[in-house]
Amino acid sequence: MADPRLLDQAFHRLMRSIVESGRALHYAELAREMGSGVEEGRQLLLAVMQAYPIGWLHPDTDYIASFPPLNNLPTQYRVSVRGEQKWFAQCGFEATSVTWLFPGATVRVEAPCLDCGERMVVEMCDGKFVTVDPPGIVGHLNWGFGPSRGRPPFL
Amino acid sequence: MNLFRSEEHARRWTQFNPQSEEGFINLPDLAGFFGTETRHHMLDANYLSAWFPKRAAERRAYLEQIGKATPFWLGTPSPS
Repeated sequence: MADPRLLDQAFHRLMRSIVESGRALHYAELAREMGSGVEEGRQLLLAVMQAYPIGWLHPDTDYIASFPPLNNLPTQYRVSVRGEQKWFAQCGFEATSVTWLFPGATVRVEAPCLDCGERMVVEMCDGKFVTVDPPGIVGHLNWGFGPSRGRPPFL
Repeated sequence: MNLFRSEEHARRWTQFNPQSEEGFINLPDLAGFFGTETRHHMLDANYLSAWFPKRAAERRAYLEQIGKATPFWLGTPSPS
């Protein structure tokens, strides 16, 4: 098991990278930042993802697909901050958590409704709603939480 | 774990699970659920070791507070 301090450092760098640039570091980049070898970086990434199981790697790869509340792989939940759209939320629920990654800024989440394709907009600043359009937007959990249900958690 | 324009839109979604009627949550409750204390520390240098482990208990407490402490929401096996 990796040193918890190393895991913390790696997690922090991964989270910082996706917040700052819209994409999480590749393990080779992580290795360089950590001052370690590339394979050590890969093992560290695997250890971080094991310790943070609400995120995941793309199947059969060492590529980060999801690092919640943000996603490396585009989703329909487009996130804009200060007029710049370069982030995606993992899902509609995590979209409401992105506000905590950008203190003091208005975070805009724009997504099409999966029924009608019409646009929905949720803007938040420091956890408070700024805009909800349309006002009746709801969250929906389709399969329940938990691996025992055997369905993708993002649905 | 999606947002919809309304409950009616969710029910019309082609992939809507008819057994998920209890899966609706209003936006303020959702923001509270995903805005609990640990979420405020995601950028902290020790988030993974100090805060993430507290997340599960925090979520359970919040679900109890909003009346959603059911297997569907808690992620526990359904009684069968």
